[in-house]
Amino acid sequence: MSFELTDEQALTREAVRQFADTAVAPLAAEIDRDHRAPLENLPAMAELGLFGMIVPEDLGGSGAGSLSYIIAVEELARRCATHAVIVEAHSSLCCWPILTYGSPQQRQAYLPDLAAGAKIGAFALTEPAAGTDAASLTTSAKREGDQWVLNGQKVFITNGGFADVFVVLARTDPEAPSAKGISAFIVEGQSAGLTVGDPERKLGIRGSSTTPLIFSDLRLPSDALLGQEGQGFGIAMSTLDGGRTGIAAQALGIAQGAYEAAVAYAQERVQFGKPIARLQAIQWMIADMATDLEAGRLLCYQAADREERGLDFAVQASMAKLFCAQMAVRVASTAIQVLGGIGYTESYPVERAYRDAKITEIYEGTNEVQRLVIAKSQLR
Amino acid sequence: MTIAVIYKWAPDAQEASVDTAGRVDFSRAKAQISDYDAVAIQVGRQLADATGQGLVGLTVSGPAGGQPAATKAALARGLDSVLVLADDGLDRLGPSAAASLLAGLVGQLDEVGLVLAGDSSIDVGARMTPALLAGQLGWACLTDVERLDGSASQWSAQRTQPWGVETLSLTGPAVVALSPTAAPLKAPGMKDILAAGKKPVRLVGLAELGLTEPAAGQLKATAHLTGPSRQGVVIDVSDPDAAAQALVAALGQAGLLIEGRA
Ligand SMILES: Cc1cc2nc3c(=O)[nH]c(=O)nc-3n(C[C@H](O)[C@H](O)[C@H](O)COP(=O)(O)OP(=O)(O)OC[C@H]3O[C@@H](n4cnc5c(N)ncnc54)[C@H](O)[C@@H]3O)c2cc1C
Repeated sequence: MSFELTDEQALTREAVRQFADTAVAPLAAEIDRDHRAPLENLPAMAELGLFGMIVPEDLGGSGAGSLSYIIAVEELARRCATHAVIVEAHSSLCCWPILTYGSPQQRQAYLPDLAAGAKIGAFALTEPAAGTDAASLTTSAKREGDQWVLNGQKVFITNGGFADVFVVLARTDPEAPSAKGISAFIVEGQSAGLTVGDPERKLGIRGSSTTPLIFSDLRLPSDALLGQEGQGFGIAMSTLDGGRTGIAAQALGIAQGAYEAAVAYAQERVQFGKPIARLQAIQWMIADMATDLEAGRLLCYQAADREERGLDFAVQASMAKLFCAQMAVRVASTAIQVLGGIGYTESYPVERAYRDAKITEIYEGTNEVQRLVIAKSQLR
Repeated sequence: MTIAVIYKWAPDAQEASVDTAGRVDFSRAKAQISDYDAVAIQVGRQLADATGQGLVGLTVSGPAGGQPAATKAALARGLDSVLVLADDGLDRLGPSAAASLLAGLVGQLDEVGLVLAGDSSIDVGARMTPALLAGQLGWACLTDVERLDGSASQWSAQRTQPWGVETLSLTGPAVVALSPTAAPLKAPGMKDILAAGKKPVRLVGLAELGLTEPAAGQLKATAHLTGPSRQGVVIDVSDPDAAAQALVAALGQAGLLIEGRA
């Protein structure tokens, strides 16, 4: 068992860290304050290859592997959770299902552009009345001749405001038992009949574009079907398995950033004639945060490593997401505590980390859903 | 024709810590390709692409510089291949000794007309190696170059001097040290990182090149700083005026203030 990163993984961390420090960090507070997507950074992220990490080389990506990808998401989130989730939703939730379930023609049609960042991807499962209970979704896709006609509404779609390619889940067989009648489709952002609603104003990840989508008689060619008819729910669930490791990495990065800010501040802030880092109360908080981070990193990297080696990783991904999400909220909260009053203000990034961390307990399966998955695996 | 870039696998001095006795501790400073050298490689890549030449990295280092972690880090920055002279004891060479060995490496390459270097090394920071290398090779040398264009044997260099911006033309072989502003620093891309492991690496030792470790002109980094030791003065900044006065008093006491009119 080796806990060492390969040279390539270590170089990936350095490269993304350098990019995050120089291009992402300066924008993070501003996009949060203005609730706006960091669109100006997308070309540089594309040039760095951040949008093609899980796409193989023959389809225009780098084929860097799950663990390198996870490290990249973590490093982005260390500086800005919004940048991290743009890459995560694009890669895990759009590139991955097209790569895994797409026909050779679909892969060729979409993945080179997605990998190059010329197109940005998104994933549309959630509906106003179908959140955790995703199988109850009502967006419909009806066959008409050699077309599918899509009607319905999705909510909370990450990258919704600027995505060019959506993987959309819709009901194709209203008579079939709920999960069985769902199919997946590839929908292009410019399609007639697609309306993208106003972005949500959120507690955290405020620069991330989270929008509703409305489909009104949106006509799709028959080859827009992803995988087999009726396979959609399985596609959605396996997509979310991989996505969970991505969100665990996002949580890990948020926590790491908050931790580093807390340690730096504790070494500088003088009270009672000495830096507060010399107070045992503060040292214990730092020790707890460091231990939390180490445990989260091991869980998260283990899940990614298993995925990379082709082993079952769904349960490990759920464990990683559950632990890292809760850990990120805990660590960000402790970081604010270390900073005291100034930590509660926008002067330091820890209050943003606290707000950003919360979403990791909710999207791509809430904490409760992760517990359901984990418990099921233990009680077989 | 080939363009060569000299680079150094060295710990970043900014990551070293200094204890109260003035001892410099490099143990937590990770070796890396410095931003200075990364800029030189980036400029080299642009010139090599524009003039259809190959781009080779050259380095002289201790054994660590020949490890895959080091060669991949250099290659990921855009080099086509590297030629590494890695041997015991070579990690602490001073600029003259390093330059003479680098000249030996340049001699190993066919048809090199241009050697690029970063502005400075990150550990020693002497800024002398390019000039000394040019001296060894008998080539022209230019430092602080902010822009370099041209063809295989004719280069045009631009640099800012206190009296204005000057443009110089270089004919024939030259060693050029680039200013950190010569190219916007970019992180290596994911594809470059993965390609690095597949690029050619030639590792040589002193014996293979028929060289010995240069005896003269070595610069061994000493363990102690010679500057004044730390005073460990702590100033309470809760009252800004009192803090400023305390700072002035402490600096005065240390003999660091010269009285006079502004
Ligand atoms: C910022 C943001 C971005 C998002 N991005 C996307 C996206 O890109 N694509 C997409 O399709 N969706 C996206 N979502 C939707 C997200 O995945 C859902 O919000 C999430 O799955 C929870 O669904 P819900 O909000 O409807 O909550 P509900 O399902 O209504 O849950 C409410 C509460 O009940 C609990 N609960 C529900 N069912 C159970 C159960 N069986 N057992 C125990 N507890 C249960 C939940 O854990 C939660 O605590 C996003 C959401 C947000 C806020």
